[in-house]
Amino acid sequence: MTEIALFGAIEIGLVYALVAIGVYLSFRILDFPDLTVDGSFPLGAAVCAVLLIAGVNPWLASLAAALAGAAAGLVTATLNVRFKILHLLASILTMIALFSVNLRVMGRPNVALLMQDTVLTPFYGLGIPDHIVRPLVVGVIVAVVVLLLARFLGSEFGLAMRATGVNARMARAQGVDTDAHVYAGIALSNALTGLAGALFAQTNGFADVTTGIGTIVVGLAAVIVGETVLPARALALALVGCVAGSILYRLAVQLALSADAIGLQASDLNLVTAVLVAVALILPRLKAKASRSTKAAR
Amino acid sequence: MIVVEDIHVTFGRGTPLEKHALRGVDLTIPEGEFVTVIGSNGAGKSTFLGSLAGDVLAEQGRISIDGTDVTRWDTPRRAGLVARVFQDPMAGSCATLTIEENMALAAARGRRRGLASALGGDRRKGFRDRIAALGLGLENRLHDRMGLLSGGQRQAVSLLMATLAGSKILLLDEHTAALDPATADFVLDLTRRIVRDNRLTTLMVTHSMRQALDYGDRTLMLHEGRVVLDVAGEERAGLDVPHLLALFARQRGGAEISDDSLLIG
Repeated sequence: MTEIALFGAIEIGLVYALVAIGVYLSFRILDFPDLTVDGSFPLGAAVCAVLLIAGVNPWLASLAAALAGAAAGLVTATLNVRFKILHLLASILTMIALFSVNLRVMGRPNVALLMQDTVLTPFYGLGIPDHIVRPLVVGVIVAVVVLLLARFLGSEFGLAMRATGVNARMARAQGVDTDAHVYAGIALSNALTGLAGALFAQTNGFADVTTGIGTIVVGLAAVIVGETVLPARALALALVGCVAGSILYRLAVQLALSADAIGLQASDLNLVTAVLVAVALILPRLKAKASRSTKAAR
Repeated sequence: MIVVEDIHVTFGRGTPLEKHALRGVDLTIPEGEFVTVIGSNGAGKSTFLGSLAGDVLAEQGRISIDGTDVTRWDTPRRAGLVARVFQDPMAGSCATLTIEENMALAAARGRRRGLASALGGDRRKGFRDRIAALGLGLENRLHDRMGLLSGGQRQAVSLLMATLAGSKILLLDEHTAALDPATADFVLDLTRRIVRDNRLTTLMVTHSMRQALDYGDRTLMLHEGRVVLDVAGEERAGLDVPHLLALFARQRGGAEISDDSLLIG
């Protein structure tokens, strides 16, 4: 793997770390399998790209992308909480709808960012090579998100959100408005995904309506890899695990793709990802089964 | 004080499985009274407790707690007034959260939850002192997950959690039914102590007639959604389990009940 490929993998890993943290919020903390991210990721990219072309400040454009993601999350949460549609189905409905929304936002399937200023622009002329600047800037943003989120989940409101996911009945008996916490959590999860989409557009120089495909699987892969390499009980460490998982996952993919002997090409990415996630989900079960049968044999 | 006026609850109205679970319960429970509730399966005990907690909304009648009409309030809204311990030790706490996190959740019951740290300031120390008073040695395990505790320990902590925020009433739904006899005795003694120290208005549902008479100040028997026996004071002091069984049998239409071993004990 070349140095450029290595830093490229770290960079994309850091961008998707935000997706991983969002998926961790929905799947793990709220126990709400939310596929909306497949739509909110390109939504964030689209909103950010269109605003950048319109000359809006890059930080404001990124914020707008996060807010758009949050709005998408609220749609899913409303379908589920208010109208009692199964969470999985509710999120698929939003995801499908967002495909059309994203086309409307951009007015065409993809938008290129060539001359526009991005959040990275001020850091380019500092004498550090571009391929290192990008992961550095994204890394700082991710670090800030992790710190803020760890603080948030340790707050009274955040604790109530975690209780909502673990034992909703108990949470309600403790006076927690569980519906409100589902709204807030799914909105936050998709806001992070929207922000990831905005950073993706700015680091890669384009927004494309198809970039959302498989976002949920990539996020989930990162969460699972993170939990495997950093089986932490403490919440802050679990968030760090999401980031580490996302980077490791990208490095593994990059290795697989750059090893010519295997004969994989970039378009095989989704297949590789799906296989990785499936294996990661199956392994713990097989392990448990194996340890049970050895115990039985004794 | 709890005032219940003629509440009715029906499940599955208009379906073949329609069940009129509460058929006009009228009751006044003065502040600080400890009431035990007995009745056979399906008598409406849990529904009655659920209707006080807000899980089940009465379709008719009125419920007020301390002078506030709460008839239409849902569970989270009533939580500031009502504390509960469930039958299933797993139900009353969050297994994957730590003991101190569970306590922090309970301590904020009935308050607006903001962005202040849930375990900040001197809260941890406060929790440590409170849990040390249980005498179970849990004060050194505040960082342990709740799921690591035994059923009895979880019920004890749940009881303690019920007192962390100033609730008016405590609802115990067969909270010792899932425990072994020795642990159940410990949890019952703890219940008595906590109810007394905090002067809580308490309703305890139990399957055991012995417990119903030994604990509390007043005993209610529910049958087919109605209160069929309401004894307190000297009349209650003079009652023994066989009397209660006889009363119970009469309510069931005089059927022989001796084989119903569930109710004794």
